[in-house]
Amino acid sequence: MTNPSITKQEVQFRLKSSQEYGQASFSGIVSLALALVLLLNSYIPSTGAFKPVVLIASLTYFIFTLLQLAVWSLIRRDLIQFGAIKRSTRLLGYVLLLSILSANLFIATAAFQLLKVKKSSAYTLSVYAALTTLLVFAVSALNIFKPYVANGFLIGMFLLIIVTVLQLAVVLLVAKYADKPILPRFMWVVAFILILTSVSGNLFALFLGLLLIAKLRDKGHTSGSKLGEVVERLSRSSTSMLGLLFILFLLTLSITSYLTFDYGMAIDNNYSLILQSPNMAYPLGTDNFGRDLFSRIVFGARISLVVGLMSTLIPVVIGGVLGAISGYYGRHTDNVIMRALDILYAIPGILLSIAIIAAFGASTVNLILALSVGAIPTYARTMRANVLLVSTLEYVQAARAFGSSDSAILFKHIVPNSIAPMIVKSTLTIGTAVISTSSLSYLGLGVEPHIPEWGNILKLGSAYLETHAFTAIYPGLAIIALVLSFNFLGDGLRDALDPKLD
Amino acid sequence: MKNKTKFGALMLLSASIMLSGCSVTTKNDVTESPKPTEGTEAVVDSGPVDIELLGMSSNEADINIIRDQLSKNGFNVKLNVQADYGSFKSQQDAGNFDIALSSWTTVTGNPDYAVRSLFKTGGDYSILADPEIDALIDAAGAQTPAEYTETYKQFEQQLVFDKAYIAPLYNSLKAQAFNKEVLNKDSVRISKSRSLPWEALDFNDTSKRDKDALVLQSTMPTLTSLDPIKGNDGSINIINTNMNVRLVNLTDDDKITSDGSLSYNHAIADGNSEYYFILRDNINFAQIKNKLAVDTGERVGGDDVIFSLDRAKDKNSVPDHRTFTLHEHIQKVELVTDAAALDSVKVSGGSDTVKAALESGLGAPISSLVSDKTQASSKDGKYQVVKLTTTEPFPQVLNYLAHQSAGIVSKKQVESINTYDVAKFDVNKDIPYGDQNTVTEGSAYNNTLYASGPYILSSKNDYEAIFYKNPAYMTGTENEPKIKNIKVRFIKDADSSLAALRSGEIHLYYGVSETKYDVVKGDSKLELQTIPSNGVSYLLFNTKNRPVATSADLRKAVLYSINQDEILAYYSGNKFKAISTLSPLVSTGLELKADAAKVKEFLNAYNTSK
Repeated sequence: MTNPSITKQEVQFRLKSSQEYGQASFSGIVSLALALVLLLNSYIPSTGAFKPVVLIASLTYFIFTLLQLAVWSLIRRDLIQFGAIKRSTRLLGYVLLLSILSANLFIATAAFQLLKVKKSSAYTLSVYAALTTLLVFAVSALNIFKPYVANGFLIGMFLLIIVTVLQLAVVLLVAKYADKPILPRFMWVVAFILILTSVSGNLFALFLGLLLIAKLRDKGHTSGSKLGEVVERLSRSSTSMLGLLFILFLLTLSITSYLTFDYGMAIDNNYSLILQSPNMAYPLGTDNFGRDLFSRIVFGARISLVVGLMSTLIPVVIGGVLGAISGYYGRHTDNVIMRALDILYAIPGILLSIAIIAAFGASTVNLILALSVGAIPTYARTMRANVLLVSTLEYVQAARAFGSSDSAILFKHIVPNSIAPMIVKSTLTIGTAVISTSSLSYLGLGVEPHIPEWGNILKLGSAYLETHAFTAIYPGLAIIALVLSFNFLGDGLRDALDPKLD
Repeated sequence: MKNKTKFGALMLLSASIMLSGCSVTTKNDVTESPKPTEGTEAVVDSGPVDIELLGMSSNEADINIIRDQLSKNGFNVKLNVQADYGSFKSQQDAGNFDIALSSWTTVTGNPDYAVRSLFKTGGDYSILADPEIDALIDAAGAQTPAEYTETYKQFEQQLVFDKAYIAPLYNSLKAQAFNKEVLNKDSVRISKSRSLPWEALDFNDTSKRDKDALVLQSTMPTLTSLDPIKGNDGSINIINTNMNVRLVNLTDDDKITSDGSLSYNHAIADGNSEYYFILRDNINFAQIKNKLAVDTGERVGGDDVIFSLDRAKDKNSVPDHRTFTLHEHIQKVELVTDAAALDSVKVSGGSDTVKAALESGLGAPISSLVSDKTQASSKDGKYQVVKLTTTEPFPQVLNYLAHQSAGIVSKKQVESINTYDVAKFDVNKDIPYGDQNTVTEGSAYNNTLYASGPYILSSKNDYEAIFYKNPAYMTGTENEPKIKNIKVRFIKDADSSLAALRSGEIHLYYGVSETKYDVVKGDSKLELQTIPSNGVSYLLFNTKNRPVATSADLRKAVLYSINQDEILAYYSGNKFKAISTLSPLVSTGLELKADAAKVKEFLNAYNTSK
């Protein structure tokens, strides 16, 4: 039965404006690509045979891809015929949810979105929070195949289970109550538990907790909090949410690894296990000193994240303050600050870092400082431009007319309204900082060679690129994934924070 | 209902994890609880002991293994990793280390060289001063191979186990890879000690000998000196070996031979103090004119030999003499002009006369001995014979004569260049013979080299050095250089060198790392050659201003932390165990076994004595 009355444009509009349709096609394509990659990996050209484990994984991905594509065509049909997705189609989401067991995040997140008709930001956050913890739990659980595990492993895993259970319960609660204009009082408890679980590094839980508290305090007086709006807009883009998911997954893993991972595996040489191919005990294989690559990459995430975040935060703060002052006061202040920063800007960033490290020695703190200093001028310029723009607006003039002090005007009225571009810029440059850290370590200028840092791991692996490619591929993929995640997040944030796109 | 089943499933999941958790081995289970040490010795300050390890970034793998082994044995290792040999050496000279990762290759193939300049008081590379060690080195030097094994065993016992001046790591393989599509497989030699002889190298397609250049590789573009006695390091050893001929050579397995040397034959006279060499008459010096090699017409003869060896043993013959300790046993070098004198001397350990030994295999027997080198003519039986006398019976002197520092230079040319007063040598004004600046492209270029060997260096820059064959080097014999033009490309990085070899940019790469053997073997156009070498890596302890300098206990704690089996495992069996720099040459039967209990014991002793 076709509906002859709708035009081609109408069909296009219906498809384009449906989030579920976009997500279904995105996850279907990515999942298909992954299935193909796995299939290629399972093939052993020398013998013509297939590796059974990888082949099974590939087949699972193919099955879920087919399911996803079937659901995609159903959604398409529903949208074209009825202009909305039918309940029966939505229920298929439960089947697709099973894909989480094969670690197929793309289909799982699409399924969560498909299940719920009206998606509030709280629901999205709760789903992502639970997914993050579940993933961390699954990845940490791989340690069980090792000859021995860290001393805190059992406690760590037990805590992770509790957190997973709590957060899954929250998903159900939020799905039921969050859409109501006034939240029930027990949501206070839920919010506090969420904030408590965010100690693991799961910032989704923290955001959700804050969102719930804001809603509880608001008591339905306003249409919603600013955070809620941002999350809602951000969640429209699958890529940026997946980026954020990966970043927070790494953050959570970095923090929980204090309990669940054994540092010795990553740093102590074990000569009986040199260059083992990936297997159950060593999921990503071992390097040329017999150290577990999986543990090394997990511990390396800590350094990469800390260095990436810190070396972005420092120039954001310093550059932001300098830029704000110079933009607000103008004239001589502006001239002095900006010309001084221009001089700094004239020195190539990576050379400056190399010089700083050569002068003060290689250590994590010096690395952060070296990467920070070179980035200050660009942030100052961004901030200055925003402040120049905002300070001419009416509300600033009003504040001035009321006799507010300069500092009050600057930090209460101007800076909060010019911070959005800084946030976007910083998420985009964290990726660069991660790459710079790895480049410097690769050059032997970063952290000490035996410390697990992604650049270090990649450097060791690059010597075995031909004979044992996995030693270079996995750290390389980790770097790519993290940088890509930050870039996607930055893209999404730019859209989410831009009022013009409303 | 739905919620309940979900919750139930989760509980089941968590319960199963908990159950499996019960059978999980934690790290505490596998690490044995420390057993109380026997006896009631007081454990003083059992905190980790700081130790600074100095090394080069090219040895990063070794550094990591040592760091790992030391830190597992209760040391807190501080790394001092330098980018190149120059900065490593300056850190070492400044004393900024407790242990320095060092290596030594005995290029002469005799045990005396493996210890003399390294461990004897006042040796070129020695930071030790121990009379007992000195006495053992001297005693062994004068002994025959049958006798010196026991002496060297005592020496190793003292050096490594009793006093722990060094901690041995491993003995390496020597490996080179070449492009077998370009180079003739049978022409590429690999020898235990001696450098690659370039004159033997040949292309598969012999028609290319005059047209194509053979491209070799080296890591160091700064050449120490092209005067053979003024350098003894990786930058010039191969180059100087091929630019200057010697009285004798080493075979691939370190036997002394006259093949391919300046002498037809050599003989050791009874008593092991007198050595005779009968010289060739078919080598002329080559020089560079208009950047090409030409024959100078000047024959390499007895006066050049005497001049070269006299300046080799004399510390004051040139400023910066780096090799005189190798030749300190030479007492006198002279020409023999009376053929009858050769008849009256018997060879060592035989009944033949020296004359008969020198004549064996020659086309014409000795009819007369001439003092003027231009008069020598082997087909007429007119020869030059050089006699070398040592300060004491010392058969290993022949190994030193096979070393590049005993290369023969032109008396006439060197004397005309080195006109400065050695005592007042001014590095800014005087230009010594063999100064690398005289062959480097640029305003200072003024190539004054006279080469007695198969090849001569025409010019160099930071990218490559260009060599041409000596047109008057044993022409018509099998030792005549085959390929006209050889280029040595300077590539610092090992991975880049291998890449250059695989892409065909260079034809032979010397010094392939163990971890790259698989790559070379996997490339069908490459051939890998390996041979056990005389190279040994060891940790050298600082002897000044550091706790390790005064405390033998601390040194021994480091020594017994070293586990050579693990190092061998890392290099998948491509390294061998070693006790000292002697190990590749003399098998003393000693072995270093890692022992954590001993480490603890010595560390306790060190902490108590502190």
